Amino acid sequence: MTNNRYKILLVEDEVNIRTVMTAMLEAAEYQVILAETCSLALNLFSSYQPDVVILDLGLPDMDGMHFLEEVRKESLTPIIVLSARTNDQDKVQALDAGANDYVTKPFSSAEFLARIRMTLRNYRHSAEAGKFPGGKFRLRDLEIDYDSRQVFVAGEEIKLSQTEYNIVALLSEHCGKMMTYSSIIKAVWGYSNEGSTKKLQVNMANIRRKFKVKPGEAWYIANELGVGYRMNGDRET
Amino acid sequence: MEKKIRKKETQKKEIQKKEAIGKNSLIAAGVFALAVICCLALQKLEVQKQSTTVFVFAVFLISLATEGYIYGILSAFAGMLAVNYAFTYPYYELDFNIPVNLISAVIMITVAILTGTLTTKLKENEAAKAESEKERMRANLLRAISHDLRTPLTTIYGASSTLLENREGLTREQQDSVLKSIQEDAEWLMRMVENVLSITRLDEGRIKLIKTPVVLDDLIETVMTKFSARYPEQKVSLDIPDEIVVIPMDGILIEQVLGNILENAMLHARGMTWLSLKVFTLGKQAIFEIADNGCGIPRQRLSSLFTGGYADREERVDGRKRNTGIGLSVCATIIKAHGGEISGENRKGGGAVFRFTLDKEEIDDE
Repeated sequence: MTNNRYKILLVEDEVNIRTVMTAMLEAAEYQVILAETCSLALNLFSSYQPDVVILDLGLPDMDGMHFLEEVRKESLTPIIVLSARTNDQDKVQALDAGANDYVTKPFSSAEFLARIRMTLRNYRHSAEAGKFPGGKFRLRDLEIDYDSRQVFVAGEEIKLSQTEYNIVALLSEHCGKMMTYSSIIKAVWGYSNEGSTKKLQVNMANIRRKFKVKPGEAWYIANELGVGYRMNGDRET
Repeated sequence: MEKKIRKKETQKKEIQKKEAIGKNSLIAAGVFALAVICCLALQKLEVQKQSTTVFVFAVFLISLATEGYIYGILSAFAGMLAVNYAFTYPYYELDFNIPVNLISAVIMITVAILTGTLTTKLKENEAAKAESEKERMRANLLRAISHDLRTPLTTIYGASSTLLENREGLTREQQDSVLKSIQEDAEWLMRMVENVLSITRLDEGRIKLIKTPVVLDDLIETVMTKFSARYPEQKVSLDIPDEIVVIPMDGILIEQVLGNILENAMLHARGMTWLSLKVFTLGKQAIFEIADNGCGIPRQRLSSLFTGGYADREERVDGRKRNTGIGLSVCATIIKAHGGEISGENRKGGGAVFRFTLDKEEIDDE
């Protein structure tokens, strides 16, 4: 039983937040490993090999970004970053450096645990499924045929332009991961200039129209203003 | 990026400075030329004894109209030379040995310095007054906020210590309600802090609003996702344009404006069964309209809706209705900083409607 539990490395220096988060995680049957400094976190990471890392960016000894960069040199273990609202730039930086997702402080336990479950599930899926050509992507009613470059919802084809298809396919390949504007732009257009973000947003607005979804309705793609887009894995309530 | 902006600002300041110098020199030269013309006319009329008086008056005017002392003093010297050279005996010759000429020089310079000092002081006084008014507003806001913070803190502190010390003495339902009050007040604190953060972000003035083009769909999507997460039961009828609208804005701040107004309806529109968010374009503007069919806005609140509900706080010291009303004044501050307009009124059919405008961007085709 104990061996089956996911190991979570929690890197956070604030005592009270650590206590509360540990309680949340342990109540949800996760095994928690605690680190309050960046260097300790790096040591614990290599000795315990956790399944997920939860990382606060403001640490006493080093910036959490340092930990992120070190870990990403040799491991794809999912990392969820904790951030404050005021630092949009922090989120984007952390995501571009390889973080899988972020949670904005303050957060509720339901929101927090849902993010962890989603991250874990997507990590396992992408590890198993791979992106072999001719493969198909399925998410609820959505089906993407990577070989014929077609997108279906409930069996009905949605006619997308080249660019629109590329965006949707890219998000599906990284399903569950928050993709920043710049990472999408780099992958889809190969270059970026001043108007790129707007171009991306306009394309996304067109995709949304073709899928016939209204703003705020549960949909396959979630957006975070000023940060980027994410294809949602199974949506949790 | 910040460096770039700062650089731009210093450049801007330099340009402004140059413009000011140009303007002041122009005023000084203009008045001085007028004085010379006057004196030439007086000379023709053979009453040139008054020319000193004319120049003293000119120097006085220049000191009054320009900034600082420099222009006044320079024109005083020039005036002295002009009077000496052209308008007093010996004519068209400089002569510093005549006491009358020296006296007129001293008078002119004294007038320049005194007027300069007076006007500078006056301007400083006005600036200080405006600054102290701003200070007063800020102090009021701070007082209102800290007063309002005390209530939820009392709940949270009291409730958590009750649970810690006396959990066994409480029934399961009592425990739940105590916990619920902690959660509610923490959520309230969260929203309060967001608002305060936004206002300080703008109030500092030094930090300029950074506008980036945002596609309307993305904005509405973000706002509605958050709103329906908080109020899953409340339906919002949406009406946004079919064409793609791009608006340059600070996305986080405008998101907060929409969030605040929608939430305002949830908190205050009693009896509301219908809530709508509509966006349409008119010329170069995008108009946002949030309407409900609740109880409407009380008449006495209408006039001070956006000017900071905290101004008329004294009336409700009981602290029961602890809504600072800073939510809407935050909205007004944000919209004004974007160069838009905001208004709130009662609808004819009952309920309230809030409207604000933002300039949209012309879309260039790819």
